Amino acid sequence: MDQPLWLSFIVAFLIMNVLLGGMAYMTWFERKVLARMQDRLGPTRTGPAGLLQPIADGIKLLGKEDLIPAAADKPVFFFAPLVIFVTAIVSVAVIPFGGQIDVFGTDVNLYIADLNVGALFLLAFGSIGVYGIILGAYASANRFSLLGGLRAAAQVISYELILGLSLVGVFLLTQSLSLRDILDAQRANLSFGVLEIPNWYIITQPLAFILYLIAAVAETNRAPFDLPEAETELVSGFHTEYSAFRFSFYFLGEYINMIIISLFASTIFLGGTDGPGADTYWGLGILWLLAKTVFFLFFYIWLRATLPRFRYDQLMGIAWKVLLPFALLNIAFTAFARLIANGQVF
Amino acid sequence: MPWDVLIFYLIATICTLSAIGVVAVNNPVHSGVFLVLCFLNIAAIFVMLGAEFLAVVQVIVYTGAILVLVLFVLMLVDPDDLPEFHTGRPVQRYVGLLLGALLLLEIGAVILNRTVTGTSGTDTAASIAAVGGNTQALGRTLYTDYLLAFEVVSLVLTVGVIGAIVLALPERLGAASPVTRRGTISLAHPKDTDAALSPGPAGETPMPARPAATVAQPGLATAGRQLIMTKDPDAYTTPGSRRS
Amino acid sequence: MGDLGVNHFLFLSAILFIIGMMGVLTRRNLLIIFMCVELMANAVNLSLVAFGWELNSLNGQGFAIFIIAIAAAEAAVGLAIIMALSRRQRTVDVDDIRALRD
Repeated sequence: MDQPLWLSFIVAFLIMNVLLGGMAYMTWFERKVLARMQDRLGPTRTGPAGLLQPIADGIKLLGKEDLIPAAADKPVFFFAPLVIFVTAIVSVAVIPFGGQIDVFGTDVNLYIADLNVGALFLLAFGSIGVYGIILGAYASANRFSLLGGLRAAAQVISYELILGLSLVGVFLLTQSLSLRDILDAQRANLSFGVLEIPNWYIITQPLAFILYLIAAVAETNRAPFDLPEAETELVSGFHTEYSAFRFSFYFLGEYINMIIISLFASTIFLGGTDGPGADTYWGLGILWLLAKTVFFLFFYIWLRATLPRFRYDQLMGIAWKVLLPFALLNIAFTAFARLIANGQVF
Repeated sequence: MPWDVLIFYLIATICTLSAIGVVAVNNPVHSGVFLVLCFLNIAAIFVMLGAEFLAVVQVIVYTGAILVLVLFVLMLVDPDDLPEFHTGRPVQRYVGLLLGALLLLEIGAVILNRTVTGTSGTDTAASIAAVGGNTQALGRTLYTDYLLAFEVVSLVLTVGVIGAIVLALPERLGAASPVTRRGTISLAHPKDTDAALSPGPAGETPMPARPAATVAQPGLATAGRQLIMTKDPDAYTTPGSRRS
Repeated sequence: MGDLGVNHFLFLSAILFIIGMMGVLTRRNLLIIFMCVELMANAVNLSLVAFGWELNSLNGQGFAIFIIAIAAAEAAVGLAIIMALSRRQRTVDVDDIRALRD
């Protein structure tokens, strides 16, 4: 179970670098998919099929002039983008990419940390991430930014609630907040007579899954819930005044958040590394996890290409008047079903 | 010095310095940021004390919700309304510092001279691990020993929510206030509540008083168009109501 | 120095509490006072958890959870009051708010 600290550092280093690379190619993937959905080609010039586009973009962002507004609150302006970036990248620590594997005779854990409160840890870092938005908005000394920041604060608080409540049903079934326990609980099969289906929580908690999906899109400020950075209303909102590499931190943070929340969704609702052959080959498990994650990322882009943006009062109305009652109903129903299954009622 | 003591001193130093920052800094938003830092460090100390669930709750509730709300209100409040830092009564400040120093000395003396009279509990590290960890053990405590208190707290929270909604309703927006104000930023206006409002006060940018009928008939009053757009957007975006 | 004892945590808690108290006594901005009250509540939480740690009991953590829940309710109502004040009285200076006294 336990492994030396240096090994954990190596695993963490690998996972974070893969995450950063994945983030870079997420932008390429998004541009390609979006282009195809709009009957375009997307980037084609840089490298084969535009594969070098993220690198070109990165170089361009780093080469730009770093503008700081004269009225900006400078210390806050400097560190606000870092908050969103760091909180996004730290959250990956609790995601399990598999169990324990054997590499050249040494036991290696395919996760950075197995916390007793793993799932809540992710939510907690998500909630710190919102400071990057509001502080950046405040420090820019710009009305549009401030409006974007206020929208972001209200939106993230509301949808974080939905996100947390949608997970409670899963916690009730697993009786644990540890993501590894949740992963293990989904490895067993449910059998209905001859039919054997995997015990993924998307099957036992379908309502929670839908709620999670909606709240996750809002939590990462993606279309159709991208009101904090609505270009047409707020001139791109909280990061209006940010340029060059400070902007790129916001950009990185947003995409890493998307990847993390997709990894989290795959782990909690789609069985994570579970899949055919995953029990014998750990590499296959990682591939399954990545495939599920890419599916969620594709879903994000699909939403962006399809749906128009919500209006602000609609956004808040959906969270408090539709999603919240459903989330509470789901919790009550799950708790009741558990009691009946345990034979404690009737 | 053992590692845990070293880590404790590191966290405690950051914690104390940021707490001092909350009190001593002029800009309220900076105070808020220092408080966030302080609370995060307190969460780290909870982890050192084996209270992982509490640490996460601290981060989610305190830094993730309460302090975001504080910053939210800070940004909504007009900066002109905030008091100046270096005005007011200096006596208050000196007395405050003196009282604080005295109380610190007293508490320090108490801590150094205290003896443990209570009996040790049964929640040892082994018994907590036996039920599955800190979260599970804390859950058992909360839902057995403190069930009634738990229910009462949920009632208090409900009352708090209702109270907050009642207080924040814009029903008497500027009505009893003798001062003139500019229009407030409306973030999420509940639908159909504005017809009941009295027209806003005359201010630097006067809000035109409008007849209640314009709400129902979009596009009628072009002079008040901007205002109506923010107050009742549904009249414009509901399919079928748009004039082509 | 020596080993990590409960006194370390109690001293930290006392220092945080006193800093919060000084803030309440010396500052006049209602929002800063609110933040300082939260800081004091946190200091109390810290000592409760430290005592629980010393006595092998989870009761301290249970109390802390209740305090956090109450603090959330307090924040909702308190901030709503501050918003209403700033809207009606146009100030968040505690020295200027005396509508209930005069």
